[in-house]
Amino acid sequence: MSDWLLWFTSMENSKPLALLLFFGAFCGVLLYVFTGKHRTRRLESYKYIPLDDDEPQPSRTARAEGSHPIPQGDGQ
Amino acid sequence: MAQSSALPAEQYNYDIVRKFTIMAMVWAVLGMSVGVYIASELAWPFLNFDIPQLTFGRLRPVHTTLVIFGFGGSALFATSYYVVQRTCQARLAFPWVAEFTFWGWTGGVALGALSYVSGITQGREYAEFEWPLDIAITLVWVSYFAVYVETIRRRSQPHIYVANWFYLAFIVAVALLHIFNNLAVPISLTKSYSLFSGVQDAMTQWWYGHNAVGFFLTAAFLGMMYYFVPKQAGRPVYSYRLSIIHFWALIFLYMWAGGHHLHWTSLPDWVSTLAATFSIILLMPSWGGMINGIMTLSGAWDKLRSDPIMLFLITSLSFYGMSTFEGPLMSLKSVNALSHYTDWTIGHVHSGALGWVALVSFGSFYHLIPRLWEKKMYSQTLIYVHFWLATIGIVLYITSMWVAGIGQGLMLRSFDDYGNLAYTFIETVEFMHTPYVWRALGGAFFVSGVLVMVYNMAMTLRAARREQADVEAKLAAKLAKA
Amino acid sequence: MRHEHIETNSGLMLLLILVVISIGGLVEIVPLFYINETIEKVDGVRPYTPLELRGRDIYVREGCYLCHSQQIRPFRDEWLRYGHYSLAAESQYDHPFQWGSKRTGPDLARLGGKYSNQWHVQHLKAPRSVVPQSIMPNYPWLLNTELDTSDVADRMRALRATGVPYSVTQAEYEANVKKFGEAVAVQLDISKARDSLFNQARERDFDGLPGQITEMEALVAYLQVLGTMVDFTKYDEGYFATFR
Repeated sequence: MSDWLLWFTSMENSKPLALLLFFGAFCGVLLYVFTGKHRTRRLESYKYIPLDDDEPQPSRTARAEGSHPIPQGDGQ
Repeated sequence: MAQSSALPAEQYNYDIVRKFTIMAMVWAVLGMSVGVYIASELAWPFLNFDIPQLTFGRLRPVHTTLVIFGFGGSALFATSYYVVQRTCQARLAFPWVAEFTFWGWTGGVALGALSYVSGITQGREYAEFEWPLDIAITLVWVSYFAVYVETIRRRSQPHIYVANWFYLAFIVAVALLHIFNNLAVPISLTKSYSLFSGVQDAMTQWWYGHNAVGFFLTAAFLGMMYYFVPKQAGRPVYSYRLSIIHFWALIFLYMWAGGHHLHWTSLPDWVSTLAATFSIILLMPSWGGMINGIMTLSGAWDKLRSDPIMLFLITSLSFYGMSTFEGPLMSLKSVNALSHYTDWTIGHVHSGALGWVALVSFGSFYHLIPRLWEKKMYSQTLIYVHFWLATIGIVLYITSMWVAGIGQGLMLRSFDDYGNLAYTFIETVEFMHTPYVWRALGGAFFVSGVLVMVYNMAMTLRAARREQADVEAKLAAKLAKA
Repeated sequence: MRHEHIETNSGLMLLLILVVISIGGLVEIVPLFYINETIEKVDGVRPYTPLELRGRDIYVREGCYLCHSQQIRPFRDEWLRYGHYSLAAESQYDHPFQWGSKRTGPDLARLGGKYSNQWHVQHLKAPRSVVPQSIMPNYPWLLNTELDTSDVADRMRALRATGVPYSVTQAEYEANVKKFGEAVAVQLDISKARDSLFNQARERDFDGLPGQITEMEALVAYLQVLGTMVDFTKYDEGYFATFR
């Protein structure tokens, strides 16, 4: 049953194995980043950080992680 | 973009940013002038004047060091210290250590240049500093790391903004590269031999050399881009999610690509094949980053017509896109067979260094200067003048290097009807004279643009100082009356 | 795990960055030290004699590598112009390597023996007097500067520390005799470094100034040995390809 497992143990397969691993990781990150409506909104909300620094920041303390309100202003 | 007057100056440490900004411009003028001089030496060799200190072989490292580490490095110190404070909303940690990074870095670069003209060099491209300076630079770098990371740790903003990731990766990677590439056995204060030899030494050096480009001249300047482009445009970066992919893919892939500097050499084929493969893949995150930067302006393209700073930033991104396309192309073994060892490489480097690195720095500085000295730029027109001088300079430079490089590459590999070499080497040298003249001219254009900027900046600073003096005089008069 | 965990934790971010940037270098560089085929097995390649070594130091000092490569690629035009392509073995004692990255002037990997000593002296003194279209700087001071030989033994000791077989003990000397022959082994003996240097300079008189040892002497000695150590007639073409 475990014949196919032996494939992983042989050194000459290290290259396709590494490729599979790196590519898998890449696809995982891609899927994570670009799927999910909620996640998208959450992630995109952080891009306003550099624009926040000009105004005095009273609202900051109210801001909990993951529930960053999207500030007004142009954009989507 | 209202500047909340005196408040930020107290909230943040701008003094260190001002110092590095001024030094960056000093190094730019010196380093690029040396560049024009050595370019002229290649066109008119009498300029070597039989003076050892002025020969091309000794001045070329002076040019690269002053420009990369002097100008580029100071620009990165300035902007990273500014960006980390603004995006973390925290004052810079360890002010005295930050002060040390300024004097250490500036002194290190100056001593390096002096040592090269005296013939003290490790003989490794872009890592010519001898071992005492290497150690000094390591100390400065560790201090930089401490200041930067501690400032991040003291942030009042819960998130670390993307720009800081790039700066962080740059600091960590450069430390790693610097240490391993400079392992050497010293015989005196001024001479050492590298620990590795031959093929291993070559691979270590180009792992360093390529990633000096990848992290010093790319990742860190992308950090600059991720702050100053959105800031100047007044709108957030196009896609935060793209920046996540951009970041991790870029720093992962770059480290594999160094071997493409050694195609067809005694380096084993498996390394250069691997390096070429990763170089091609590298196109994707590079362009992802470029698109992310340029699309920030999407819906506000009219800014390009009214804002010369935006012109600098967006043009720099276009050159970034161009040279990150050209790079993978040149890393293909078949193209590299022609391009390697020729001026095509020199042109490629300069489309990145002048087009991307220098233009994005100038754009960021034009954004920074009014905020650092609380005074509007002396002349908006001169910013346009600078832009056009720089652009013409770059176009002349890279076009002449294409002609020289591709021309020489083709001549060297052409045969006559009997299968003999069609040209001797010296015939290709003769052929390159004309492009060399044009290249020197292009460089001169670029330097004159920088001089315009220095003038503009000096007038701005003078006005700021005068205003400051006026305020103080008024205050003193008021106090005297009371 | 959310990306936010990384974005809000500087330690974790630093750790991940370090891991991600280390992989490429580890995979591409470390094996070069362990894979046996990286450096071809070939006879004749020896460390530089004290005089050649000092010449090499001058080559590095003047930044020659910024315009001249020492690495011939396996192409027909380079074969015709310069000779057999360079082997990894030929630069195994080069600290640092001087393969270069730009040919503003021609490749020098097999320069040795192509021109006479007098030609080199004249060419280095005033390149345009022998090659009118040349754009190389003149190096007249090499002829008027006496070679500093005081620390040549220190230099060899430093190189020995990196693994170059310059000998200190009798056993090391004998190993060198076995590997390179007696004439070479004597020159690699650190305790006799200055004598060997003077002898080589006296016998060959590279700079054409008998009784004087100038920097020109050392540099020409170095240039004349470049690429001459391997006798390629002893190997058939297929042999070196097996190492690539």
